[in-house]
Amino acid sequence: MTRLESLASCFQGLIPATLFTCSREGVPNAAYISHVEFVDSGRVALSFQFFNKSKANICENPHALVRLIDPDTSQGWRLRLRYVRSETAGPVFDRMALRIEAIASYSGLKGIFKLRAADIYEVLSVEMIEDEGPRAASQWNERTRPPASVFTLHAMQELSERIHRADTLEALLDSMLEGLEASCGFTHSMILMPAAEEGVLVTIASRGYPENGAGAEVRIGEGIVGVVAEARKPIRISGLIRQMLYAYAVHKQASEQGLCPHAHRIALPGLAAPDSQLGVPLINRGELIGVLCVESEQPYRFHEEDKTAIELLGGYIAIAIHSMLQRERSEPVADVAPAPALPTPAPVRAPGPTARAAKGPAREVAYYAADECILVDGEYLIRSLPAKIFWKLLNARQAEGRVEFTNRELRLDKSLNLPEWKDNLESRLLLLRRRLEQKCPDLRIVPKARGRFTLQFGSDVVLVQKP
Amino acid sequence: MIDVELAAFLQEGIAIQLGTRNERLEPNGVRVVSVAVDPDGRHIVAYVPDAAVAQVLPDLQSNGQAALVFARPPDERACQLKGTFTNARPATAAERAGVEAQWDRWLDRLASIGVARATLEPWITWPCTAIRLRVTAIFDQTPGPNAGAPLA
Repeated sequence: MTRLESLASCFQGLIPATLFTCSREGVPNAAYISHVEFVDSGRVALSFQFFNKSKANICENPHALVRLIDPDTSQGWRLRLRYVRSETAGPVFDRMALRIEAIASYSGLKGIFKLRAADIYEVLSVEMIEDEGPRAASQWNERTRPPASVFTLHAMQELSERIHRADTLEALLDSMLEGLEASCGFTHSMILMPAAEEGVLVTIASRGYPENGAGAEVRIGEGIVGVVAEARKPIRISGLIRQMLYAYAVHKQASEQGLCPHAHRIALPGLAAPDSQLGVPLINRGELIGVLCVESEQPYRFHEEDKTAIELLGGYIAIAIHSMLQRERSEPVADVAPAPALPTPAPVRAPGPTARAAKGPAREVAYYAADECILVDGEYLIRSLPAKIFWKLLNARQAEGRVEFTNRELRLDKSLNLPEWKDNLESRLLLLRRRLEQKCPDLRIVPKARGRFTLQFGSDVVLVQKP
Repeated sequence: MIDVELAAFLQEGIAIQLGTRNERLEPNGVRVVSVAVDPDGRHIVAYVPDAAVAQVLPDLQSNGQAALVFARPPDERACQLKGTFTNARPATAAERAGVEAQWDRWLDRLASIGVARATLEPWITWPCTAIRLRVTAIFDQTPGPNAGAPLA
């Protein structure tokens, strides 16, 4: 019998499978199913989401047939199955539930589009479908050859070297995303870290998108990133477009019946139409350090054998970020390369009427105290702790004429209310720097040495405090 | 039973599978290349590749029970017809163009959801056996809480 393991590509869910069952009375039933889960060499699992005819039949007659298509080779396969049991907990259930939850969260279907059970089936036979496959050996070409694994040992080694070379948090994050492109071919990726506000993740680094996306927030439990953070387990989804269309069909029906009282769709982060997504939790000693999300417009980019490598990489990045944050707190300062000079002709000067006259129109920076939020020239810049930090710096600059600051003085400033331990200050400053680069590149926060930075403004600023 | 709108849906070039069962109540199933709804709306002909028809024909000839499932991406509209076997015959050369045109429209539709035409292009679509069924029930199968509701 063909080994079930050799059909790994069929279990990616890229092309729908068909499930055939039969009632006790002998009435056959056929239904398309979104996903068949590989369990082990002798078993597969099917998702039980709605109590339908297939489920009713299986409860009274355990025989089933599944037809699958291998997206790499075009070969159809027939699995003869016997229902064994339904699982509502355990690793198989968790894996399947996570995948369904990620798709549901895109569609405002959390709680409705969910896994009730993982139905476990014994595989009695694996048969090749002769009329569904390449007709001749000549048709086996580059297109039909399965793509190679992307997380090779060599790629992991290169990523590891990048981690060792990075000397700041910013360099580490950027180098990781660059390495995922250079070594694995992933052109679109992002890293999110917990925001100051509980239950929120914020984008701190991204690659491949038109805007740097810094500051984009995701709530825990929403979208692939939020679900990864909640479950603290990696998710790979291939054939995402098709599965979301399936979820939307459910959504449409459920909405019509008033079953979606809080129906809303959050905007997809990154690519408008990703076909494959990978979310990796970055966990160090049980603490969620962040989430790495990689997207591809190509279907089926992630492979079964990549799973272990992905988890390993996630743990490694988490440790690297954690130790970088720790080092920033404890080590003496070290020089870093100076930032390139601003392209604006006006030199950086202390604030004052003379300087303002030389630089053209000043920027208005408004702080809304109630929302802890900053707008620059009426446009949203940043909120929460990074906003409070920026406001503190701006006021010190205006009142004392200072442009150089240290992380240490921010930590000691009671008004910022930073936690005594694990304050993530470096990541908040990085986020602030990136938002400034994106929204007002003439206002810069430039690292001068470890734990020390300077404000370099190409425009004067007018500070306005709002209630 | 099958109204004009439903007949158009069934024949527009979508995913179709035929399910049967043997005497031990073990299910069998094959891909259907295309269907043709009889003008009376009570019968339907399913074109199954000759290379696959042995999977289901013995079941149909022994107990006559059949289920045809239809699904259309990208809106996932789906329905299931239950029926009983009437007869089977070799599809004629005159039917070939219609059968293959419907399959071709299905490949186009698949491409719209990211499955390249080339994935299924090598599959055998001819010669076919024309399996005629009398439709006994129709059920909605669009994913969601209405799935399973009778349509006729």
